[in-house]
Amino acid sequence: MVRIRLENITKEFGDFKALDGIDLEIEEGEFMALLGPSGSGKSTLLYIIAGIYKPTKGRIYFDDGDVTDLPPKDRNVGLVFQNWALYPHMSVFENITFPLELRKVAKGEIRRKVAEVTEMLKIENLLDRYPWQLSGGQQQRVAIARALVKEPDVLLLDEPLSNLDALLRIEVRAELKRLQKKLGITAVYVTHDQAEALAMADRIAVIKDGRLLQVGTPEEIYERPRHKFVGGFIGNPPMNFLNGFADRGILRIGKSTIPLPKEYESVRGEVIVGFRPHDVEIGEGIEGEVYSVEHLGREQIVTVSVEGEMVKVIVPGDRRFEFGDKVRLKPKKIVLFDKKTETAI
Amino acid sequence: MLVMVLIFYLIPLVMTVYLSFTSMKNWNVKYLFDLVGFYNYHRLFYMFQHDPSFKAIVLTTIVFILITLVVNVFGGLGLALGTFFLSDIVGSKFRLLWLLPRIAPIAVYSLVWYYFFHETSIGTLNSILMELGIIHQPIPWGQIIPWGAWSVIIFVNGLVGVSFGMIVFTSALNQIPKELVIAARVDGASAWTISKRILIPLLKWHLLYVLTWQFLSLLTTYCHLFLLVEWNLVNRDYGTTLALYVYNTAFLGGELDQGLAAAVILSVIGVSGGFLTLKLLGFEKMMKRPRGDV
Ligand SMILES: Nc1ncnc2c1ncn2[C@@H]1O[C@H](COP(=O)(O)OP(=O)(O)O)[C@@H](O)[C@H]1O
Ligand SMILES: [Mg+2]
Repeated sequence: MVRIRLENITKEFGDFKALDGIDLEIEEGEFMALLGPSGSGKSTLLYIIAGIYKPTKGRIYFDDGDVTDLPPKDRNVGLVFQNWALYPHMSVFENITFPLELRKVAKGEIRRKVAEVTEMLKIENLLDRYPWQLSGGQQQRVAIARALVKEPDVLLLDEPLSNLDALLRIEVRAELKRLQKKLGITAVYVTHDQAEALAMADRIAVIKDGRLLQVGTPEEIYERPRHKFVGGFIGNPPMNFLNGFADRGILRIGKSTIPLPKEYESVRGEVIVGFRPHDVEIGEGIEGEVYSVEHLGREQIVTVSVEGEMVKVIVPGDRRFEFGDKVRLKPKKIVLFDKKTETAI
Repeated sequence: MLVMVLIFYLIPLVMTVYLSFTSMKNWNVKYLFDLVGFYNYHRLFYMFQHDPSFKAIVLTTIVFILITLVVNVFGGLGLALGTFFLSDIVGSKFRLLWLLPRIAPIAVYSLVWYYFFHETSIGTLNSILMELGIIHQPIPWGQIIPWGAWSVIIFVNGLVGVSFGMIVFTSALNQIPKELVIAARVDGASAWTISKRILIPLLKWHLLYVLTWQFLSLLTTYCHLFLLVEWNLVNRDYGTTLALYVYNTAFLGGELDQGLAAAVILSVIGVSGGFLTLKLLGFEKMMKRPRGDV
């Protein structure tokens, strides 16, 4: 098990900068999620850790060893892909043993390791089948078995659940996390699904346009986004944003004013106000008009128009709201962002 | 559709078979009902036994097809795999080069090789070798029988087929999810192991296709050979295959009956050869079994 350290990683494809100065440390045994929209550079970063791409600039360390120039096979990483990449012409057994064969592991040893890993993943009765005879969930287990059978120091997963249907995905993500903790293996998990990252990761690294916006525990990322984008990307529904003006402890939003929390007392000027749909009470505060209502059983999502800007709030299901009702919103927790840079103040 | 098949395929086929049992010469209708049974076939068989020229043609056909086929399939596969592992930019330029035999008109393409293998010192090959001091007299490559003539015709046709194989294999390789290759590389597989264990098995269907297609086209093509023989670059007997013989006899020589009998034999070989390859390589099984890569 290793600690991974990425130092100022930059990757260019021709003129295009896919990654820009990424600094990131992943602790031994940690489950790190790389979270970002499609095209943000997550897979590229994962491939750089695996050694498939070489960074244009920057260094990669496993523990204290510099592995930047090591080929993939000398890094001892296990890789799982979104499409699972099982060899279609090989049986499950052959797929799993392929990495061991390449290492010239003895026959008996191979059998023992395969038995171990397939038992762990509950696929021991699928060994004679071919990939096309397996369900998506089974293929995914085989792919993980193939990555784990060589006892890698690092497990790298590139959106391994996004080809599964929604229910199975939720079931598998709990199992995968359990497995990772049981093995104590360092894992880097690429996903564009914020719920997946929040549910599984020890820490989340949010990437956008090749830049690292924030690294932190799910709670930190959720509660204290360092960037407007992070707030807007995480949570379902995501954080609300309104334009406001801060002055002497008062925040003006349109015609309404609310007091600023202590930590923002000294802020002055134009700001973006962010607050989570869960952190809003309906009572006094920002004026708005009910735009739509979605019932979710115990709760309901009420969309409120505040001077033309839409804000979503989650309130208990027992209150009735009608289209056009005047309401006042009181955010219990807010985050202020700089209007220009969109970073948290 | 059916009418088209009837007009363009079935009628010519029936006519060919029928005319090969008549004594038809020069499209003269007076021979149309002059049935001679297996006479034309007997004559071909007799020629095979006693006519050294015809014997050479049969032998040339066999050697030409077998060796060119191997060159086509393995050359095309090798080039496709080679460029696959090269970087994309280098690979695509390099591949373009190999498309030249396909792009160039047959006459132009043949002319290039005519000058390359020319028997005098204007031949590129001869002048290079003489320049290097390896030979002192120009060598009439195409007139050395049998292997000189065979080498030239195999070389010229081989290049055309190689480019065909390469196109098919390259596009097939590009269909294979790149993750399969990445996964194998991460596990420590070399380019050779990846080719042998993953890429080639996945190209099985395409290999079969190229093999069959090339077999049938080698059996029937004669354009390049016709030019090379006419220009006197290669020996007439050892540069002629059965397909060219059919053309020469039936259409240039006017002995339609004789030529068409040879054509029928050629077709029978083609059809049975095609079926045999399909059978041997498990065509049906492949078609029935869902393939894993889709
Ligand atoms: N081999 C490559 N050549 C050129 N551009 C690439 C290559 N790989 C990725 N890119 C570009 O880099 C960006 C990031 O890609 P990727 O890392 O796959 O994103 P993600 O996995 O976050 O969706 C994309 O804009 C993509 O088009
Ligand atoms: Mg990706």
